[in-house]
Amino acid sequence: MLSLESVELSIPSLESPLLAGITLQLPGGHFGAIVGPSGCGKSTLLKTIAGILPHTGGSIQWRERDLNEEDLAPHELGYVPQFTCAQPALTVRENLQYAARLRCAAPQAEIQSIVERVEQEVGLADLGDRRAGVLSGGQLRRLGLAMELTTNPNLLLADEVTSGLDPKSEEEITLLLARLARQPGRLVLLVTHSLRFLEQYDSVTVLTGGRLAYAAHPSGLTSYFNVPSPEQVYPALGERAPDQWAEEWITSPAELGFEMVSMVKDWTDEAFSPPEGQRPPLPGLVSQATTWLRRRLKLFFRERTQVFLQLALLLAFPVVVTLFAYQGLPAVRNLSMGTETDILQQLKETLAFTVQSSRIGTLVSGLAMFQVILLSLMGSNNAAREVVGDRAILEKEKLAGLRPSAALAGMAAFLSLLVLVQAGWMTLFVRAVCQLPGDVAGQFLPFVLVTGAMTALCLAISSWSSSGEQASLGSLYLVGFQLPLSGAILALPEFLGWVVRPIISAYWAWSGYLQTLRDTRFYDLVRAITETPLANSQLATWMLSLHLGLGLIVAYLGIRRSDWR
Amino acid sequence: MSRRAHRKSPPSAVIWLLVAFLALGGLGAIFFQKDSDPYRTIEPLKPSDYLENANSLRGNTYRLEGVIASSLGWSQEKGRLFSLRVTQGDKDSPLPILVPASYREMNLQKGQRFRLKVHVNDSGLLEVKEMTKS
Repeated sequence: MLSLESVELSIPSLESPLLAGITLQLPGGHFGAIVGPSGCGKSTLLKTIAGILPHTGGSIQWRERDLNEEDLAPHELGYVPQFTCAQPALTVRENLQYAARLRCAAPQAEIQSIVERVEQEVGLADLGDRRAGVLSGGQLRRLGLAMELTTNPNLLLADEVTSGLDPKSEEEITLLLARLARQPGRLVLLVTHSLRFLEQYDSVTVLTGGRLAYAAHPSGLTSYFNVPSPEQVYPALGERAPDQWAEEWITSPAELGFEMVSMVKDWTDEAFSPPEGQRPPLPGLVSQATTWLRRRLKLFFRERTQVFLQLALLLAFPVVVTLFAYQGLPAVRNLSMGTETDILQQLKETLAFTVQSSRIGTLVSGLAMFQVILLSLMGSNNAAREVVGDRAILEKEKLAGLRPSAALAGMAAFLSLLVLVQAGWMTLFVRAVCQLPGDVAGQFLPFVLVTGAMTALCLAISSWSSSGEQASLGSLYLVGFQLPLSGAILALPEFLGWVVRPIISAYWAWSGYLQTLRDTRFYDLVRAITETPLANSQLATWMLSLHLGLGLIVAYLGIRRSDWR
Repeated sequence: MSRRAHRKSPPSAVIWLLVAFLALGGLGAIFFQKDSDPYRTIEPLKPSDYLENANSLRGNTYRLEGVIASSLGWSQEKGRLFSLRVTQGDKDSPLPILVPASYREMNLQKGQRFRLKVHVNDSGLLEVKEMTKS
């Protein structure tokens, strides 16, 4: 039984509470509707029951346990939100398979049977191979329900899943929910604006202004509100203040024979619950991360524009770098080592050497920094929308049992593949075309670390952003500040340099790369033209690793936090 | 206890992380910068001491940092003799250094800055034992 006792939800910025004095008792094997005019708190109540919004007063109990003390386990709760949780590029079956794998630790054969069962249950068996992106509104709602049913939950909450559908689809979904509620021990609650199909519900809960106006069998609805038809209930609600309706409901139901307890069946929910052993446990972290990675790879290759953009950047960026030195690096003319030349000759030589240092040193330093900046841009492009782009689905999957660490591990594994390819190709291509000297592994290391660090930092930005645009802009600023603050082009004032260099990934990658040229004259020429001190390879590697680690930890905190919108 | 769907990651955690990041960065800078001067435990050579009486320093090992100024001589067996410009305070002093033949593959050019471990040999000449670009 779900029991709400004087539940209240207040927000400090609002004077009156969003919900107040909500007292309800709803048994298992029951189909209840939560209705009311727009803004009355229907969805808010459902989210409060699900735990998405924390109630600030009263208590919510499920099977006699206070949910603030012991929350609903992922497999106990099915929550179908207003938005679609399906990936449009995946087929119905793939969506269901991944949903089942993320929620149930079971062998492949059992996952397959779960998928077949829920397809049958919601009537999607014939549409298994159809992509979710081309489904109708009603079919999408069925898919959303099917994804929740993979864990066979006892408490199924459906938020406006019939809204915006044509009358036939609305009826079909309502009947489907009514059928699902017939499973012993299962409570199904539907939030809806519609007052059609009242006969399908075991109870109707009417809210107005966040207050409870009615909660009983639908047959008594019209007489309680003294209206000729259910459609007249909402206008009638407007005739009195919400507090008055709430007060009247508290005092009158017993007199009118509307006692909620009368709906409670004699049996207990537990008696009809599937034993714990019959329900697959939640998969482990590695299993969830692997499932997440597989799905991400499939989505990546399904979205051709994504693949095309990544390929375009991967191929075009190194080519752009090589345009500056496609004939290789110029040979360096050294100063005479002897002292026998006259002073005029020495001055001429020194001048020529200074000009050469400026030209070649700038070229070598620029080539290093250009590669670093383009890799940073690729890193930003990799991750800026990775979390925020599918935030709603991520929140939904977390509610269904996905560990934030597993989601991060899956993302990190996917992004690592991109980073390795991007940094590897940039290192090898530019080196081969421009015939750059130095140790190839030593050059790959700062490049892969800076791409990884920028990817991780942009992932962190994405995980804390409220929109894709905000994340993209934040990531772009992060990349944009790398060049001027690195000191590679213009040396920063000494104090400012000490302050900003620790946080500028590009500086460390640039330094680390140039250190691989240490045994060549190019290194001397770069040293001759730049006043910015170059960090040694070990320190550069250490700092870039710290940036990478910082990005991942901040991203974990961002993914872990609740961000329902 | 907050419900599962309403977990918070307090912004203060991010601030603590940044503090930890700066601390680790600082420690890394101290540790790795020290490591970047391999001769830091060797006594530095004062050019004025050497120029005043090189013989008194015979048999000692010092560290030195300077810029190659010119080539003074070359021998197939003994190696290359350079003039190294060493700065002490505001004053530049040229010191003769002998780079042994074992370093013949190293491209040494005028204007390059080096860190060196040098030994004052029996004839009072500074003989390079180890050298690295700075």
